Amino acid sequence: MNLRTDPGGSPRPQHGRTQHVHPPHSHPQNGPALNSTLHTGHRAPAGHTPRGVRPKGRRGKGRRGKAAPARRRRLPLRYLLPSLLLVALLAMLMLRGYVHSEIAADHRVRPPAPTDHVPEKILEGGPVIDTRGGRETTMSVPDHRLVLTFDDGPDPEWTPKVLDVLKEHHAHGVFFVTGTMASRHPGLVQRMVDEGHEVGLHTFNHPDLSYQSESRIDRELSQNQLALAGAAGIRTSLFRPPYSSFADAMDDKSYPVTKHIGSRGYLTVVNNTDSEDWKRPGVDEIIRRATPEGGKGAIVLMHDSGGDRSQTVAALDRFLPALQKQGYEFGNLTEALDAPSAHTKVSGVELWKGKSWVFLVGAAEHITDGLVVALAVIGVLVFTRFGLMLLLSAAHARRVRRRDFRWGPPVTEPVSVLVPAYNEAKCIEATVRSLMASDHPIEVVVIDDGSSDGTARIVEGLRLPYVRVVRQLNAGKPAALNRGLANASHDIVVMMDGDTVFEESTVRELVQPFADPRVGAVAGNAKVGNRDSLIGAWQHIEYVMGFNLDRRMYDVLRCMPTIPGAVGAFRRSALERVGGMSDDTLAEDTDITMALHRDGWRVVYAEKARAWTEAPETVQQLWSQRYRWSYGTMQAIWKHRRAVVERGPSGRFGRVGLPLVSLFMVLAPLLAPLIDVFLLYGLLFGPTEKTVAAWLGVLAVQAVCAAYAFRLDRERMTHLISLPLQQILYRQLMYVVLLQSWITALTGGRLRWQKLRRTGVLDAPGAIPRQRSGSHDRSPVA
Amino acid sequence: MSHAFAPGHPPTLPATPPAAPGTPAAPGRPGRDRYLDLLRSLALVRVVVYHLFGWAWLTILFPSMGVMFALAGSLMARSLKRPAQGVVKGRIRRLLPPMWVFSAAVLLLLFAGGWSVGDDPDHGGAWGPVSLANYVFPVGAPPFPWHLGDKAGLLEDTWPAQAAGPLWYIRAYLWFVIASPLLLWAFRRAPWVTLAAPLALTAVIGTGLVTIPGETGNAVTDFAQYGSCWVLGFAHQDGTLARVPRYLAVSAATLVMALGLWWASGHLGPDGWDLNDIPLAQAAWSFGFVVILLQYAPSWRELPGRLAKWDKLVTLSNNRAVTIYLWHNLLIMATVPIIDLAYDLPFMADERWSSALDTTYMLWMTLLVWPLIGLMVVAVGWVEDLAAKRRPRLWPNGAGASSRGRRAVAR
Repeated sequence: MNLRTDPGGSPRPQHGRTQHVHPPHSHPQNGPALNSTLHTGHRAPAGHTPRGVRPKGRRGKGRRGKAAPARRRRLPLRYLLPSLLLVALLAMLMLRGYVHSEIAADHRVRPPAPTDHVPEKILEGGPVIDTRGGRETTMSVPDHRLVLTFDDGPDPEWTPKVLDVLKEHHAHGVFFVTGTMASRHPGLVQRMVDEGHEVGLHTFNHPDLSYQSESRIDRELSQNQLALAGAAGIRTSLFRPPYSSFADAMDDKSYPVTKHIGSRGYLTVVNNTDSEDWKRPGVDEIIRRATPEGGKGAIVLMHDSGGDRSQTVAALDRFLPALQKQGYEFGNLTEALDAPSAHTKVSGVELWKGKSWVFLVGAAEHITDGLVVALAVIGVLVFTRFGLMLLLSAAHARRVRRRDFRWGPPVTEPVSVLVPAYNEAKCIEATVRSLMASDHPIEVVVIDDGSSDGTARIVEGLRLPYVRVVRQLNAGKPAALNRGLANASHDIVVMMDGDTVFEESTVRELVQPFADPRVGAVAGNAKVGNRDSLIGAWQHIEYVMGFNLDRRMYDVLRCMPTIPGAVGAFRRSALERVGGMSDDTLAEDTDITMALHRDGWRVVYAEKARAWTEAPETVQQLWSQRYRWSYGTMQAIWKHRRAVVERGPSGRFGRVGLPLVSLFMVLAPLLAPLIDVFLLYGLLFGPTEKTVAAWLGVLAVQAVCAAYAFRLDRERMTHLISLPLQQILYRQLMYVVLLQSWITALTGGRLRWQKLRRTGVLDAPGAIPRQRSGSHDRSPVA
Repeated sequence: MSHAFAPGHPPTLPATPPAAPGTPAAPGRPGRDRYLDLLRSLALVRVVVYHLFGWAWLTILFPSMGVMFALAGSLMARSLKRPAQGVVKGRIRRLLPPMWVFSAAVLLLLFAGGWSVGDDPDHGGAWGPVSLANYVFPVGAPPFPWHLGDKAGLLEDTWPAQAAGPLWYIRAYLWFVIASPLLLWAFRRAPWVTLAAPLALTAVIGTGLVTIPGETGNAVTDFAQYGSCWVLGFAHQDGTLARVPRYLAVSAATLVMALGLWWASGHLGPDGWDLNDIPLAQAAWSFGFVVILLQYAPSWRELPGRLAKWDKLVTLSNNRAVTIYLWHNLLIMATVPIIDLAYDLPFMADERWSSALDTTYMLWMTLLVWPLIGLMVVAVGWVEDLAAKRRPRLWPNGAGASSRGRRAVAR
């Protein structure tokens, strides 16, 4: 069920935050950086506007003061729209559940009760009971007249056939329709009325009314009328109670209901000849039971709904001509009683209300059908993706872990490491020192992007060999990277964030794939350092799955959408061919990776090149990070859309990679809320056990995948305990973000840059590592 | 999820980071953790509202009893840095006098109503009169008749059960206080076992593997049911809880809560999802809930932001928690005859007005019970001060700096 909305296919921890990072695997020969608590600050590639029109220098000033009110104004919308959508969906589901008797249905049937309080003349009277205005009389159908009555319809399959037979033999009847069925099949009610039949009420939900309160009885009747008004524009004065039979079956429990209904102006119509067609006794038996003795008049009970009614239809086809030959007339009830029609036309507000009701029910039916299809699509997608991930990541791991696996001759040439930094005073030293411990020859180029906190001076103050600082006016991360590229001396360039810490072997592992001349870029393995908070643990799970399943899969499929900004390496010649970094999108890393694919370069994943990064610790920070990725990915997909029709490697990426990325990252997560809507509906209205079991089943599949990813990365499994909670809190946040990105994309809105909040906790460089457990006190959320 | 911390705000944290949950008050500076005070006030309000309306879902929304026992356990652990005997004595001394006042009032009403413990079929026999001693020292919940008087009387005939019902809490509290030195000893040696043992005991009793009859059974059930919450108070106090990584604590707590709900779904009581009738579910749900509440305990010196305006009420309800708890149910019942007086008003002869009163009856009860509680706080609340060897105060809502200082010493 993990429809992660992560637009990069896997987490790209390019922007962390002021926090401590310390890798669990620390090596004795590590430099001070890895043994000490490292402060990694958040690098904010600020000031991007979606199409690269960015006023220079805006980023530096007054953001803190200004961002808050802007934020507050936008807050409602990002939750309001998705929640409105969810509520609307849920309401539609509930409406459908109501007219399908899944909600508020009552299937109890009362056993027979004493009859002391039922007047004798009712018990022995005819099947039409008139209790209107205090009366207690009955009526019977005159001889040689038969009133056929059909209960529980209209049914989309059998009612038309019954109507056809009646029409063929020029017979009329009475249909006692339920509100639920009439709401769902209004056209059939209209046809009944048009063809001269009478329609009676059979309640909305078909409960045994003797169990119901007066107000519920009134509601059953009025909603039933509402459905009739909407379907055929009429009201009726005929009523048949559910589970009724003959007049002599009235008892002390059901007769008061009859009297109450009479007081509301209805004639109660029971029957005196029961065909018992619902038992499906065979056509002959139905005919035998439905035929009254000696030419008497009768009200015959039949059903046009509630199961296979082929016997009823077949019986009618013989019964009608046979009895017509005997001189019987088949009229509707008021024709048989020579009374004025039971129908009255409705108009005005009543009619309007009925029409809206029927329209809403119709909409709910269609929407629900659509939702079920969508849910099935989602299910197939999710499981296909899981299966594909498991298969391909296993294949990838087996290939690159073979003992004799080589990319080619070992890459030993020196590389340039670019560290773009904007106000990273708190973390830059740790970052640079971790590089100094590298076991691969490197030069470090720190590009200070107009920091105002002395980032550049701190690096210069370290006086480290092979570390250069390049200053530029504030121009954004892509510009900083391009400047770094211009200043880099070597042909292989590693890019990292100013808040990320490398292990000593990270650079070496990261550049080995360049032994293969077709490889243009390599993605490393970013790890979450602050994984002990709840939100950190969720992101840890997400990162491990993203890097060990998604990225391996994309590597095998040759369409990895993103080199993470926190740890990636590029061949300079490849970058130069595609024109370097661009600030066209908010996700320059996705943009450049797609450009490299289109240029025919291979992009691979180096699992052992680990980089430690700090994940956002508050919902706000996480939200703004993911919003950027999400929206940036959409921009990048849009920017490279032409690849779909191109030839060569670009076309291959356009026809394999782009659709895959769009499907899994942009489209599928959009449907993910459905899972929660159905979960909620199932929990509330049942079947509760099945719903819970299904959810747990999907969770188990999820857990298996996660556990496999953890095993591939040799991570401890304990963090998986937060997987269930992740599924009911974190995933929802992710799709709210994605939905918001969609809204931004569709409305052409601009994403204002949000500078992430710094916690302001600062240790002296090289200080003794602080206990992790202490750090979560600072986080206001999770 | 809070949005109070919008990115771009200057860091909202105080210059000195708040003390870790393990040390709710800076050493040497006695002070109250206002977060815990707020929880206690919420728990009290929840109890009163629950007793007014009887909504089962309130027991899930906020498991008040578990929260109250956890807070009490935390304070107990803090006090037990001093010699145990004195602490336990002090606790009992502070608890009993307010209860005696209440007991006296209830007994007076019971005897005036014609109750005789010897003749009561539920409490007959030789033990009947002896069990009355529980009104003085509640090792067990005191006896009371299930029905007294007549249905049409001033109060409903079940009033004794309603009035004396809350006394089980006093009994449970007493048991916990007396057991605390032992529990704390066990907790220091084997924290996880001690935390889980009451849950396990509840599972044994709650699943019906073992049943203990009578009041002893009730007492053991209550003790087991809330024992884990009480010990959680210890774990919060000494920082054990804060040392558990948050993801682990919260995720595990959620699982325990889910198990509790699952158990409840299969063992619904007479009031459906009312956890008070389902010990195992109550124990599990309260435990998980309290873990999460204490994991996120921010250790406030003062109520922040919008909560600040509730400061006085929080202070008052904390200073008079025992009084409010003991008397609230009796006062809820007392609202009935008072509101019934309104039926005698002249315009009430009109059907419309009296039926309007009928339909809004609960509303009036809800509105009336709070002033009555206030009256009772004024009338007998000062006994709590006497019991704590303080100068009696009528309305200790913390207004004024001097009382603030005294309050700090209070616990």
